[in-house]
Amino acid sequence: MFTLSALFFTGCADDYLDVNQTQSISTKDIELFNNDAGAKTFVTSIYSKFLNWDMSSFGWIGLASITSDDADKGSSPGDTGSDKDVLDNLTYNSSNPSAESTFNANYDGINRCNQALDILPKLDKADANLRARLIGEAKFLRAFMYFTLVKCYGGVPIVNHLPKPTSDDDQKMLLTRKTAAEVYAFIENDLKDAIAALPNKSAYAADEKARASKGAAYALLAKVYLYQKNWQKVVDNCNLVTGYSISPDYAKMFRLEGENDAESIFEINGVGSVPAKGIEGYSASQGARGAGGWGWGFNTPSQSLLNAYEAGDLRKNATIIFRGTTLYDGRVVPNTVENPMYNFKAYSSQYTDGWETDANIKYLRYAEVVLMKAEALNELNQTPDAILLLNQIRNRAGLANTTEVSQAGVKKAIWKERRVELAFEFDRFFDLVRTGQAKAAFAIDGKTFTEGKNELFPIPDSFIRQSKGMSSQNLGY
Amino acid sequence: MRNFIFSFLALILLPAYMSGQVIKGKVSDKNGIGIPAAMIVAADSKTSADTDFDGNFNINAKIGEVLKISMVGFDALSVKVTSENMSITLNESKDTELKEVVVIGYGSRKKIDNTTAITSLKAEEISKTKVLNASQAIQGKAAGVQVISSDLPGSSPSVVIRGLGTAIGGRSPLYIVDGMPTENINNINTNDITSYEILKDASALAIYGTRAANGVIIVTTKKGKGDRVTVEVESFAGFRKPLRTVKMAGSDAYARYSNAALGNSTFSENQPVNTNWLDAITRTGSYTQNNASISGATENIKYFFSVGNYEEKAILNGLDYSRFTFRNNNEYKISKKLTLNQNFSFTSANSAPKPLGAFTNAYKQSPIVPVRFASGQYGVPFVDANGVASTSGSSFNNVGNPVAQLDFYNEQQRSVTLQGGLKLDYEILKGLKFTSQFNGEYYSWKQYNYEDTKNIWLAADPTRDVANYSSTSNNNLLTRGREQYFNWNLSNYFTYNKIFGEIHDIELTAGMETSVKGPREKLSIVRKNVNASSNYWSLNDVDYVANITSLLDVTYDQTKLASYFGRFQYKLMDKYLFTGTIRRDGSSNFAKDYRWGTFPAFGLGWVITKENFMANVKTINVLKLRGGWGKLGNQNVPLNNQAYASGLNSYLGGSILNEGTTINSQIDPSLSWEVTEETSLGLDFELLDNKLKGSFDVYNKKTDNVILYVRPYSTSGISVATPAHVGEVSNKGYEIALRWDDKISDNLSYWVGGNFSNNKNELSRLKSVNLSPVVGGNLGNGQDTKLLDNSSVGQPLGSFYLYQYAGIDPSNGKMLYYNASGAKVTQDALSATADKKYSGSILPTSNYGVSLGLNYKNFDFSVDGYGTGGAKVYNGKKAQRFTGENIEQSVATNFWSVSNTTASNPAPFNQVPVASTYYMESGDFFRVNNISFGYKLPLAENGFLNYCRVYVNAINPFITQKFSGFSPELNGNGNPYGSQGVELDAYPTLRSLVIGANLKF
Repeated sequence: MFTLSALFFTGCADDYLDVNQTQSISTKDIELFNNDAGAKTFVTSIYSKFLNWDMSSFGWIGLASITSDDADKGSSPGDTGSDKDVLDNLTYNSSNPSAESTFNANYDGINRCNQALDILPKLDKADANLRARLIGEAKFLRAFMYFTLVKCYGGVPIVNHLPKPTSDDDQKMLLTRKTAAEVYAFIENDLKDAIAALPNKSAYAADEKARASKGAAYALLAKVYLYQKNWQKVVDNCNLVTGYSISPDYAKMFRLEGENDAESIFEINGVGSVPAKGIEGYSASQGARGAGGWGWGFNTPSQSLLNAYEAGDLRKNATIIFRGTTLYDGRVVPNTVENPMYNFKAYSSQYTDGWETDANIKYLRYAEVVLMKAEALNELNQTPDAILLLNQIRNRAGLANTTEVSQAGVKKAIWKERRVELAFEFDRFFDLVRTGQAKAAFAIDGKTFTEGKNELFPIPDSFIRQSKGMSSQNLGY
Repeated sequence: MRNFIFSFLALILLPAYMSGQVIKGKVSDKNGIGIPAAMIVAADSKTSADTDFDGNFNINAKIGEVLKISMVGFDALSVKVTSENMSITLNESKDTELKEVVVIGYGSRKKIDNTTAITSLKAEEISKTKVLNASQAIQGKAAGVQVISSDLPGSSPSVVIRGLGTAIGGRSPLYIVDGMPTENINNINTNDITSYEILKDASALAIYGTRAANGVIIVTTKKGKGDRVTVEVESFAGFRKPLRTVKMAGSDAYARYSNAALGNSTFSENQPVNTNWLDAITRTGSYTQNNASISGATENIKYFFSVGNYEEKAILNGLDYSRFTFRNNNEYKISKKLTLNQNFSFTSANSAPKPLGAFTNAYKQSPIVPVRFASGQYGVPFVDANGVASTSGSSFNNVGNPVAQLDFYNEQQRSVTLQGGLKLDYEILKGLKFTSQFNGEYYSWKQYNYEDTKNIWLAADPTRDVANYSSTSNNNLLTRGREQYFNWNLSNYFTYNKIFGEIHDIELTAGMETSVKGPREKLSIVRKNVNASSNYWSLNDVDYVANITSLLDVTYDQTKLASYFGRFQYKLMDKYLFTGTIRRDGSSNFAKDYRWGTFPAFGLGWVITKENFMANVKTINVLKLRGGWGKLGNQNVPLNNQAYASGLNSYLGGSILNEGTTINSQIDPSLSWEVTEETSLGLDFELLDNKLKGSFDVYNKKTDNVILYVRPYSTSGISVATPAHVGEVSNKGYEIALRWDDKISDNLSYWVGGNFSNNKNELSRLKSVNLSPVVGGNLGNGQDTKLLDNSSVGQPLGSFYLYQYAGIDPSNGKMLYYNASGAKVTQDALSATADKKYSGSILPTSNYGVSLGLNYKNFDFSVDGYGTGGAKVYNGKKAQRFTGENIEQSVATNFWSVSNTTASNPAPFNQVPVASTYYMESGDFFRVNNISFGYKLPLAENGFLNYCRVYVNAINPFITQKFSGFSPELNGNGNPYGSQGVELDAYPTLRSLVIGANLKF
């Protein structure tokens, strides 16, 4: 014991109190990740964010789909899904939970991007080319999330690096809204960096087709320009999206077999088999409700959408599950389910009522690139070229060529084509706002779209309070 | 540090010795045991000396000269020097206050010389109430100490000393058991305890530094004494019943009420079954304890062996608990200067837990449901067309059958705790002692829980057929858990005593310590489809992988503490007392630059009765004023180790699951312990021939860097809240303790005592930060009852945050609530953000205890009582009625109806009621904790059996309470923001009758 005492008497050193963490991996142990596999994990976590309930599921469905004229709240009349009724009616206020969770979820993802961008350069034992690509992926994903934010909320704080808790400048960065133009410029920059770093989709192994590719970055950049009405750049970037084609069968794209097919440019991948890793509650919250159903029945196709399909449009039955029918996989949707229509694009054949299923979200498809290019060409007075592109999409859907010939007519035809082609792919609400059709479109549904207000969702109250006057709320909220 | 030690040693070597004729001697007490530190003065030779550790002294003096020998606690004596080798016996002083010694950290002090607030409880006090844990036994016996206990066997009471100073940090006091710091004394047999000292003020606590803010309890176990072998045996047996139950509605009343709620006649109002569910799940509890000890002392060895066995069959059917303890404490006198103390204890506890939710289900389940149907199947809440419970029909509530719940619950737990230590005392020089002490604690726990999934599924609905059981579902689930840790503690310190110039009495203590809480390892495996026979759960040569549904294998972070401490105690002329303490602690819990902290304290005392001007005041025997100030820490706070968040995996096309990692937490590198600063003042007195003793204390405690979770800005994307120093909690209070002892004749003596303490707890300040609210007191039905957030400033901790009940709407019998603007509205019109208010706290503002005792000839009789005031409790089980649950008799017989619009209870309803003040009640109570009546058989002191006391105890015989539920003493999970103070799944307080005997051979 005396020996022990002596040891302790001389061992006054501070090292004695350095205890290794055992219940969690210390951030000091960065060496554990200093290899190729380790480097990849920091970017995988960003993709993983897109599988979260708050990022891609209930709140996002409410905000970006139920609000639109394509979808109704669905479900039982008494089940509001916490706020889906007010979203459907465009009567939400500044403490709307879906607007708040979407805002927070995207910043959660942006933090993961910033963590990756901070850590990857330090992982000097990982392959340099791999790291460059991973940085490109992180920048693409960061741009993707800022694009979501700017579409939903307008200008938002640009967090372009990891903030230090003690830094005043960083606090300012976190709490001050930038203008929408600044956010767009930031997105364009990230995408240009991503384009330089990313490989083509064809260069990825079969198991990594879901990673961001050069084509995805060009397509997203084209879309970012589309929202800014920078038509020439839309065309330029669409032209750089190469190596993709229009899939012959529209319906199959939204089934397991169509995952990452030739038309797919960027999609979120879910897997339902054990260990299941899919978009949390995505299929369940939109599945048919009631006896014989398998879900909660939210986000149901609207009559207005149904009416938008021309006779013979193959996309109608690929987009909408009708009550009382038998699906392609033999599943009978009995007449006892509560709503007449459900979203087919959220359906999983094998893991129908699973919490995490193989249903994917297709965010960028080549068909959209074609339509974006058509829209831009039409704006650049190249209407005949636009018509050719438009017809490609119509023909695949089993429809004849468009009868429109005028620039104004073609413009409307492209807008309408976007609606039916991209229904339930989280585009409609933003398209209505972007193209200025919103007020009229909602009026048809008997809903009031207030111009100067409803173009944007409210910035969460919780953030406005945190900002202590450094940021202000969107108009009208 | 080394410099400090060298100078310290140099200081000790200074005193020189004088020459002359040396008289040797030994001063001892009447048992022949040497008295150390006695003072010997030779008046003529003008020399003086102190006795050493064994009572020996050398003094320069002449034969025939008078020596004056004095020692605190003994009558002074003058003797003539008759030879060169003297043997002097001192008689113990009658003044008890001088003899009493209290244990302080790393030493002991005579009570009269102590400047701090310490409550010292001795063996008799602790073992009198026959309960498992000593902390439960001391309830009401120490002013300023609140004990919230539960009669659930094996549970640990919460002990709050001078108010709660932390919101999310550790709340438990630090226990020091024979030198071993620990958090729990469930493994200690109460009969083995010789003293239980509660250190209450900062001046006493600061020597424990960063672990002291919640107070320290020093438990000392017994040692052998006397010169013969003593064998002691104690056995008792008792019966237990709930102290108070709640009368539930019978079947017909239930049917009437439920029909009214549904607005139809679903239930027949003439029911064939009337089940008393509480009776169905409970039994008369019984418990026994048997202890035997052998102890004694020889010249060089003191020994103590004890074994104890506690067995309880709890009142809840099937809940059993047993504990076996073994202890061996030895003291070896290796040489005149070297003493070795060794202690060792082994405790094994076995329990068969049962879910306490059964109490809630018994409260809620309808009396029309039979325990079992005639078919033998468990009763379920199905009502048939005749309006009676039936094996088929429609389900009218979602409450399980509590009898089935208990029958199906199959769990066993077993733990083994080993504690032991070695303590070496070496007298380097006269007055200078070196102590080295090592203690260790090993804990191992194992558990299984077997869930008969398929049969539970079948029992839940008698119409189910085993053929319909899903083929992919598991037949059963087996959980097996293992946990273990090893903690150790090593302290080394010097103690130096010296009296200079007869009036300066100093004691110096200085040392260092390290305390390591080793990594806690936890392993838990859940398997499905195991063999139905438990013999075949763990077969050899079987590949289990496919049947494992979850596996947990965690090694929790270990923590280390390195410390230096010093104390200086000074007494001037036996009147003026000073204690200065300093502790410097380094804790591995915190970042490098923030891990060292210094905790200073001082105490002052003035023994007024030693002043000349008090010499003639005969009524006041002792009057001592003391006061102090100090700083304490609480290092048991959330760790802010930053970690990589893993498991953020994703498929990226194909079938390969890619691993994902990020950092989603933020750390405040400056996070450290919570610091409590306390100023206190006390007065001790003994009056009227020491018959009336008492003390009065006031204190002001402030914890100014309370840790709470702060939410990072939403745009940082960090979702994990960060612990940070943001709050201030204050506790201000006073304590009074009084006791009157009197002996009327040799045959009759009695005493009456009591204490009262008052504490005002308040969250006094919060930094302007975005707090992550602490939402608590969840009722399991979507309702929360407690809140701590930015709006809580000015409220006590543990506050309820509720809608304000505004009575019944006389027009329709609906419950109404005040909204923020004062209007009365129904619950559907309430705003969750605007209409709730702070409505009182689970923390009482006052605690009090009373005790009285009487000894007449060989009979002894005593009564102890305890009460609290100012606390609120929430009737959580009552607030759960959603649809078809039972109601209390008082509700069933007096509810609003068109013919009874002034009833005290609302019209029957089928809706989850919001958390409101309607269900909050006063927690005030006064309870007689123990009545003890004993008889000592008249036995000869030197016979084979020389002592025998037989006794009868009534534990918790009476209570007065305002609460309408079972018990207002609701420890729950011990967390003021958890289930503490909420009666839901709560084990009721028990009334016990105990018969036992103590024997000595």
